[in-house]
Amino acid sequence: MSAEDQDSECEIEDEDYDNYYLSNEEELELADYKKDPESFQYECLKVEEVEKLLNELVELLSLEINVTPSLAKLLLHTLGWSINEIVCMFRADAHGTLVTAKVKPANNNVPKPLMSHQPPSLNNNNPMCPVCYAHQPVEFFKALACGHQFCKECWSSHFEVQVIEGVSTSIGCMGQDCIVLAPEDFVLALINKPNIREKYQRFAFRDYVKSHPQLRFCPGPNCDIIVRSKEPMAKSVVCHQCKSRFCFKCGTDYHAPTDCETIKRWLTKCADDSETANYISAHTKDCPKCHICIEKNGGCNHMQCYNCKHDFCWMCLGDWKSHGSEYYECSRYKENPNIAYESVHAQAREALKKYLHYYERWENHSKSLRLEEQTLTRIKDRIEVKVMESSGTWIDWQYLIDAANLLAKCRYTLKYTYPYAYYMESGPRKELFEYQQAQLEAEIENLSWKIERAETTDRGDLQNQMDIAEKRRSILLKDFLEV
Amino acid sequence: MANIATQRIKREFKEVVKSEEVARCAIRIDLVNDSWSELRGEIAGPPDTPYEGGVFALEIVVPETYPFNPPKVRFLTKIWHPNISSVTGAICLDILKDQWAAAMTLRTVLLSLQALLAAAEPDDPQDAVVARQYKEYHNIFKTTAQHWTAVYAGGPNRIAEYENRVTRLIDMGVDELTARAVLSANNWDLERATETIFS
Repeated sequence: MSAEDQDSECEIEDEDYDNYYLSNEEELELADYKKDPESFQYECLKVEEVEKLLNELVELLSLEINVTPSLAKLLLHTLGWSINEIVCMFRADAHGTLVTAKVKPANNNVPKPLMSHQPPSLNNNNPMCPVCYAHQPVEFFKALACGHQFCKECWSSHFEVQVIEGVSTSIGCMGQDCIVLAPEDFVLALINKPNIREKYQRFAFRDYVKSHPQLRFCPGPNCDIIVRSKEPMAKSVVCHQCKSRFCFKCGTDYHAPTDCETIKRWLTKCADDSETANYISAHTKDCPKCHICIEKNGGCNHMQCYNCKHDFCWMCLGDWKSHGSEYYECSRYKENPNIAYESVHAQAREALKKYLHYYERWENHSKSLRLEEQTLTRIKDRIEVKVMESSGTWIDWQYLIDAANLLAKCRYTLKYTYPYAYYMESGPRKELFEYQQAQLEAEIENLSWKIERAETTDRGDLQNQMDIAEKRRSILLKDFLEV
Repeated sequence: MANIATQRIKREFKEVVKSEEVARCAIRIDLVNDSWSELRGEIAGPPDTPYEGGVFALEIVVPETYPFNPPKVRFLTKIWHPNISSVTGAICLDILKDQWAAAMTLRTVLLSLQALLAAAEPDDPQDAVVARQYKEYHNIFKTTAQHWTAVYAGGPNRIAEYENRVTRLIDMGVDELTARAVLSANNWDLERATETIFS
């Protein structure tokens, strides 16, 4: 389901409420609150479109404050691409702005840095370049706003070396302790080799996109799409071209309800502790009742032993009956209340136990997501067979694919609730979170169970389960997704 | 080696030879071979530091792209300093990395290194063990640096007590270099050093 689909659904819902409770303000607020917390406005742009967009900004600023386009570009890049802010800053303090943007040196009376030996002054027609130590005619020298004079050949060698190392917009003056940056036209005028020029432009464009808060490169392999959002937030983006789904703010896999910082910490922790966690990645467990070895080959965590028909939970190996809607606690980690008084060893063991609790569930849902992808293929095969047998048409079975897609969406969010819970401090808010998480998990497992066993075109029951699961998911996000 | 690099090095070489620092025996540069791509540097330990009285040899490798890239410099003489590896002699100094500017010279590099010996930056360490000692046991750091200067760089203050402990470890069959390094890293605690070596 794409972002637009969700939006349009949402709007229809809102309108219904608006018409129904037209005069009741409280209810209107409620309708507002029901707005999808995941909705996000963005567009996918091609490189040429972004180039055009950036050039328009450059032109606008250069006209507004009367500087060259190249200088305007440097100002936009170093100061964050907000025209209004830069214009205000510039009008208030032009010199200060140019210093902040590293266009001019902070200290205006830098001693004319033409090295101790022979400065290229008017009465000396063959000054020495302080980089190559060669004497050259005055017209061979060039300098940035800081006044550090170097010969053209040294400038171009300097640019070449920097570009080969991947540096572009941060290329600066060659003077000692000088931080003044070289604007684009200065660099391009002095680069002779076409391949270096091409590289410089490519790297510079990459830097411009990275410094622009509204733009982000699609992280998909070999994808050159650039996503633009006018309100940059940690929300889900799906690339129109390669279909990669990622977080707009940090560019990694989408991770609601966990925030960018937390998910980074969690993934680093998982990578560090992978050896410890390796032993739990085994794919088999024994049935808690008859102890026969069971391999999990589906995504659903509600297991039924093929041998003794015992229903149990794959995660905690508890009886599935106690996982009913009333009392589902498998997702919750029970902290030892007296841990502060225990020995350091016991505390370390407890810390590991806690981490493993969350890691096991995180990893298990990742696996379930992969297994449920296979389930989707099986569903498609099954539909084909059913249609061939003339039990229902292809359209009659379509709902099953929708259900599988919804299941994947819900389980994806559920997976990302575990890092969130791991870093949450104990207290009523965590209890509420874990309660909602448990509810979501229970409904997801019900849905998964039903999808894996759907044998009729009786879709009412499944549709109902889909609605419940999605409601649980959106409630949890509404309450805990902070953007 | 590129033309400009050789030309620069030749000029710089002359500059250092003629400079006033050479007159004061503070810095020195020698050629290693005819190619001008490898040089040997020397700096004197700055006064009023634990390195006073020592002379430290440096390996200087001049890259093809010099002076647009910095020279590669490391200490050949062993030295006890937070920003210099006590094992390899590798140096953590910004002007030898991203703060290099083409207008800098070998002379400025050597003078910067001398300044680094006088003012360590323990928060940006190359050698974490030394940096920790510098911050937590500054007196031990100072005597250790003095001792290393005496042993490896010809400084005046060889500390007898430290030498005794090194000898004790040598008697146990440990080689001298390891013995001194491990003792230094363990704040000269003989027991802990023994434990580190034999466990």
